[in-house]
Amino acid sequence: MKYQPRALIAEVTHRCPLHCVYCSNPLEMQRRSAELSTEDWTSVLQQAGEMGVLQLHLTGGEPLARRDTTELVKAGRSAGLYVNLITSGVGLDEARLDALVAAGLDHVQLSFQDTEETTANEFAGTRSHAVKLRVAEMIRQRRIGFTLNMVVHRRNLAHLEDMIAFAEASGAQRVEIANVQYYGWALRNRDALLPTREQLDRSVPILEAAQQRLQGRLRIEYVLPDYYAKYPKPCMNGWGHQQMLIDPAGRVLPCHAAAVIPGLDLPSAREHELRWIWEDSPAFNRFRDESWMPEPCRSCDRRTRDFGGCRCQAFLLTGDAAATDPVCTLAPKHAVIEEILQRGNGSVNREWVYRIDPS
Amino acid sequence: MSDLMGKLAPENVPRLAPGCRLNTAGSPEDLLLIPEGALRLKGPGRAIVELCDGQRSLRQVVEELHRRFPSEDAARIETEVVTFLARLHDRGVLEAV
Repeated sequence: MKYQPRALIAEVTHRCPLHCVYCSNPLEMQRRSAELSTEDWTSVLQQAGEMGVLQLHLTGGEPLARRDTTELVKAGRSAGLYVNLITSGVGLDEARLDALVAAGLDHVQLSFQDTEETTANEFAGTRSHAVKLRVAEMIRQRRIGFTLNMVVHRRNLAHLEDMIAFAEASGAQRVEIANVQYYGWALRNRDALLPTREQLDRSVPILEAAQQRLQGRLRIEYVLPDYYAKYPKPCMNGWGHQQMLIDPAGRVLPCHAAAVIPGLDLPSAREHELRWIWEDSPAFNRFRDESWMPEPCRSCDRRTRDFGGCRCQAFLLTGDAAATDPVCTLAPKHAVIEEILQRGNGSVNREWVYRIDPS
Repeated sequence: MSDLMGKLAPENVPRLAPGCRLNTAGSPEDLLLIPEGALRLKGPGRAIVELCDGQRSLRQVVEELHRRFPSEDAARIETEVVTFLARLHDRGVLEAV
């Protein structure tokens, strides 16, 4: 097999106490009754370890909404995996964090919605900011990997300097400042979230100066919104190249959003061995090599770097999952992006809907 | 002792940063697992990282390697170890107290 899976993203539940307007979960969420059991996950993680997967990202929804998070961490470590918990922090207290650390948790990625409490709670659709501040302090006091994650958009990009200062004082080793990517709920709320060109132009030198100033103390990763890029992002570093995602019900996907692609028969970890899914399932092979590529990708020098961009985005914006990602300025359908940017920079209805919680 | 990067002094005590650890000993490849992924360790890389236990100073790490590899050129060992650890330090993977 040419492709070696390195990371497993385990969406262990879609339940979440937050209702973030940019949630990357699908609009159609899995219910609690459909979720994999502890034993199911243990088997899946064991298989992943045997296949050479190195990293486990426990995410959701809110992974702490399950009662067995500690067991899942233990199962990940037993399978030889590096275990990262991606969390809002809601549901964490001193005792539970101690139990997670004792179970072998390597790293926590804690999300913040803003540095201002009022707007942070507004974006999350719940009063969670104060809880997060307490959780950040709890993590700081333990010897464990700690990354802060801040999702940025039109309504909070002006707070960029405050975010960096907050990260600097938080005790985290890393901070990811990531512009919203438009899938799931974020796509639904795109008009309200899309930053302006001026906002982005202002953000880049601030970030670069901070990266230089904080080198060796705090790593800052900045993710730009690809709608403003010249070329598409190398989505997942290639379809079925390095990563896989398992949803709460056990469906195995090449990425977060792949369920939107019509005709993609998503294999289930309940029914198949993970190795078969990775190596042989039609879903993982659909866009793996270059045979699906249209022009201009097929003869483009960049095809081995960005793999034609994101298949889900191509489908969501052009109706064709095998089109060149319209973000690319060379794409035949690039005008779609220009229209979206034009509309977003004009006067549109900027009301949003909140992510719902599946029961 | 040379002071290649200016950040690691012989009396510094190096250890892995939080969130960074070696993979299980005896795995097919030696890896340093870090939040963003993994770094592949070649040659004596794993042994060097293991010596950075938060007890030994950088000077003691180098001395221990001299003991383990008596036939190797001592100056070369020192240069290579310090360069290697300084690179990990620059990446935020190694702390030096």
